[in-house]
Parts: sequence; C-alpha cells; structure tokens
Amino acid sequence: MAMYETIFILDSLLSPEEIENNINRVKEVVESQGGKVTAIDRWGKRRMAYEIHKKQYGFYVAMEFDSVGNLPQFLQNEYNYNDKILRYLTYRYTKNKMKARNKELELKAQGKELIPVRPDTEFEAAALGRGKPGFRRTYRKEEGMKDVQK
Amino acid sequence: MYRSRGTDRNSRSNNRSNNRMGLSGFKSKKKRVCRWCTDDESCRNLYIDFKDTKKISRFLTEQGKIIPRRTSGNCARSQRQLATAIKRARHLALLPYIADIPR
Repeated sequence: MAMYETIFILDSLLSPEEIENNINRVKEVVESQGGKVTAIDRWGKRRMAYEIHKKQYGFYVAMEFDSVGNLPQFLQNEYNYNDKILRYLTYRYTKNKMKARNKELELKAQGKELIPVRPDTEFEAAALGRGKPGFRRTYRKEEGMKDVQK
Repeated sequence: MYRSRGTDRNSRSNNRSNNRMGLSGFKSKKKRVCRWCTDDESCRNLYIDFKDTKKISRFLTEQGKIIPRRTSGNCARSQRQLATAIKRARHLALLPYIADIPR
C-alpha cells in the first residue's frame, strides 16, 4: 500500500450540490477499488493561471488516499469520462514527502493546529495576470497589486 | 600600418582582460548557496511542494521560465525536485506556462 494524492479541478459554475456529487463519485471510485480516503481538502473556487476550456475559474479539490498501485488508472478512466472535470493530477508520495507528512501528523497528535498547504491566491493573480497591454502587473506585500507602465 | 593597428588592438584587449579577470585567468564569481537546504541532512530530507507556489515562483523568470541552476545557485537535488514541482503546478494551472510575453 502506498499513499497517493489526487487533485482535480471542477467546473466552478456547478451548484454546490453538484460539486459534492462529483467529489463523492471520485471517492466511490477510490473506495470501490479497495482504497482508503484519508483526507479531502476543498480549496474552493480559484482563478486559474490560464484558461481551460474557455473557463477562467475552477473549483479545486485535493484528495489523499491509501491504495494499491493500479488505482490511479481507474481514477483516470473516471476523470476522462466526466466532462465536468477540467484537469486532474494524481501522484504517489515520495519517501521525503512521507517523512514530511509523518512529522506533520506527529505535531497534530501533540495538539498543534496545522494549516494545509495551499497555493496563495492573492499572489497568484498578481504575479500571473497579464494586465492591460503596455502595463506590467507587480505585487508587493506592502502595496498590493499594481499595474506599472512599461 | 597594418602592424601598428594589430598591436594597438592587442594592447587594448589585454587591458580589458586585466580589469575583468583575477590572477588565475578566470572570471571571479560570487559563491552562490542553495536556498532550499542548509546542510547535508536537510538536503537529503528535502521535499519541495508544488502547492507552495509562493516559494516556487521565486525561481521563475517574469515570463514563467525556470531559472537555471547556474544563476539561482540551487544544488542538483533541489533543482531536480523544483523542476518537477513547477511542472506539476503548471499542469494544474497554478502557474502559467507562459506569462507576460514581451513585445
């Protein structure tokens, strides 16, 4: 058994119930193949760095599970079949990632509150947005987002 | 006529090289340090998370290209991890493949 994480982007225009349905469907695939879901992290609606299927926003979900090696293949089938899923990524935890995870779990057992790592949205939009033509978009912590003429 | 020009040019280039180079004849460089690992132990246990886009994007150019090791000073191990992290983040649209194309 190995630990995996799968992250997928759902269409952000779906209603909250539909989003839950889609998440459950992925969860069912994992469980039907003998996997065990250990954590689900909903990042929520985020602006994507580039358009996918003409959509600017996506609903990100990260799911951590424990399974045997052929499960990602079944997940891939589900992802490709479901057209509400814009993108997906499944990866196996490396040795070093496991070490980092175990350390986190230890800290959690000691009663420390841990915030899961998530991409920084504010920084994202600033650093990556193209801005108006002839302007460059910059981001500084003190000033926030700014469009500077080139 | 030709000779004098030749010597002139030679002497000029010698001057320039004296300014730029040290005694060893190589360009003197600042020593760069890997920003991910402090010692051997931390380097071996290093894990670069692709979700941590704030940290990762320091190693991207304005156009979204990966900065080479020779300029950033990363060690080989962390650069390898960094590259996969960036590629994963790009795939999930957390980072752009191309940003801000200069015209």
